[in-house]
Amino acid sequence: MTESSANKPANGEVCHRAKNGVKPGRNGFVKNHHHNHHQQPMYCYPEDKVQHTACNGSSGLGLYSRPFIESFEETPMLVAVLTYMGYGILTIFGYLRDFLRDWKIERCHIAREREEQKDFVPLYQDFENFYTRNLYMRIRDSWNRPICSVPGAKVDLVERVSHDYNWTFDYTGRVVEGVINMGSYNYLGFAENTGYCADASAEVTMKYGVGVASTRQEMGNLDRHEEMEELVAKFLGVESAMAFGMGFATNSMNIPALTGKGCLILSDELNHASLVLGARLSGSTIRVFKHNNMQSLEKMLRDAIVHGQPRTHRPWKKILILVEGIYSMEGSIVRLPEVIALKKRYRAYLYLDEAHSIGALGPGGRGVVDYFGLDPRDVDVMMGTFTKSFGAAGGYIGGRRELMEYLRSHSHSAVYAASMSPPVVEQIIASMKCIMGEDGTTLGLDRVQQLAENTLYFRRRMTEMGFIIYGNNDSPVVPMMLYMPAKIGAFGREMLKRNIGVVVVGFPATPIIESRARFCISAAHTKDMLDTALSVISEVGDLLQVKYSRHRRLPSMDRVVDHSIYDQIQD
Amino acid sequence: MAFEDVWKKISWLYYQYILVTALYMLEPWERAIFNSILVSVAGMAVYTGYVFMPQHIMAILHYFEMVQ
Repeated sequence: MTESSANKPANGEVCHRAKNGVKPGRNGFVKNHHHNHHQQPMYCYPEDKVQHTACNGSSGLGLYSRPFIESFEETPMLVAVLTYMGYGILTIFGYLRDFLRDWKIERCHIAREREEQKDFVPLYQDFENFYTRNLYMRIRDSWNRPICSVPGAKVDLVERVSHDYNWTFDYTGRVVEGVINMGSYNYLGFAENTGYCADASAEVTMKYGVGVASTRQEMGNLDRHEEMEELVAKFLGVESAMAFGMGFATNSMNIPALTGKGCLILSDELNHASLVLGARLSGSTIRVFKHNNMQSLEKMLRDAIVHGQPRTHRPWKKILILVEGIYSMEGSIVRLPEVIALKKRYRAYLYLDEAHSIGALGPGGRGVVDYFGLDPRDVDVMMGTFTKSFGAAGGYIGGRRELMEYLRSHSHSAVYAASMSPPVVEQIIASMKCIMGEDGTTLGLDRVQQLAENTLYFRRRMTEMGFIIYGNNDSPVVPMMLYMPAKIGAFGREMLKRNIGVVVVGFPATPIIESRARFCISAAHTKDMLDTALSVISEVGDLLQVKYSRHRRLPSMDRVVDHSIYDQIQD
Repeated sequence: MAFEDVWKKISWLYYQYILVTALYMLEPWERAIFNSILVSVAGMAVYTGYVFMPQHIMAILHYFEMVQ
């Protein structure tokens, strides 16, 4: 299949050139098998992975209607060496401190075995505990910060200090007000305590109370739940939908209901812990394909169909592909058109987790399916959460009617978990109606557009300033690379000193040298807030020297590309 | 005034050194240990170079038969 699609010329229809003007034929596409290919625009270093997909025949029959630009710039060698050196120094000092604690020269604040258990198998000697004691504790004040207001575009933090190097915290009693919030998953700005959604929730609380005191199957199925599920189904464009109280539990409790022994799960390398847990709980065979890499996925599908189950070579009962809409640690968007094409060809099922992309992508805010302009009926199981864009809590699954009826009786979450609380349900209904435009205003669409503009602006300015930013140009999740362990703590603290709250991430959520700061853009951020944030980020970036990017792009969006340059490039 | 600028520059360089070697995350006494070890090793290297460089240079020149 790959050979024929590769050699087929563009199929006669009008095809748009990719924005950088690279000609369709010159893309190193000699070895076939590639839907991905490495095009080399002039300003890129060849070892960086910048993937452009022009929508002509070379990329699989014109599957993409708009340029798909993702970049994951490679770690500079010097920075990698220095990062390892930093971790080495911390490890040596960690061993020193552990020695002192063991010989009682220093007081041990963290859990350890009791005296009587000295000869038992050691509990706290593995790397994870070593890391927690000696590295995480030293910069712990950048996480678990208590907030005391609604986490909108600005948030209030409770001020705290530590006198014993983060082992214990004391509250000073003061509140840091008006911290610009770049960390909350508040993509459309629905986390607010005023406005139509909040009023509707308050009214429903007055009528139904807050607790439901039962599961959906017993006495907990309110009419608001039914209405919400119909609304979700309409929003997604599927036949039927079902909602659960917790997004994590939606994944981990429903995948076991869908697959079992004798089934194959193909899961992306960087899938979320809930998907991994659900896959493991199901008991199916799990194979991992490289992140967003369609050749890897196709190879695995072909192997699975050709060879079947491991010893008996019987065909697999089901093949389920697990992907996410936006990967929150990388900011990359799944190559959905290609995944759907593969799924149809090889008769597999697709489970799409749109936790971060629902409401945040697409012209109508309907998620990654809308963003690519595809048919929602092609995705077998559409899962998402209400936590991120809708300002509520919980998760949903949407799909065909038979699937939903099956899940209603066979899912662990449906049978055992308590139903969603009425004010949360009302918040979902109100915000979804707002996004769809059913409350008679264009507020929802305005927010979606504002988010898209904010994202584009923020990403462009960040790359211009010289930071290394991962991910797709359209994703509202912006990971900025920090690499060195000391800079993780320093970045979090310096930003808070200047009144901006950010989320910094290190090991084990990311690979050990690729620690990052992750910004989540919101529609509630005004341009002034973004400008303030960007100037502060630039200042802190200069102070900490984190502007690692080797291609400083000049600030120009509308420069006309000179097509004749490419005639002179030798391949 | 110039002294202020120089002091600020040195302070910023020290901050960069602290960040890169991850000493930023360590407690003051740990920093003192690391800095003293580093300074003593570097000092010893410089002293050895100072004392033995003339001998080494003479030996090299003798090897290349440029001087007796």
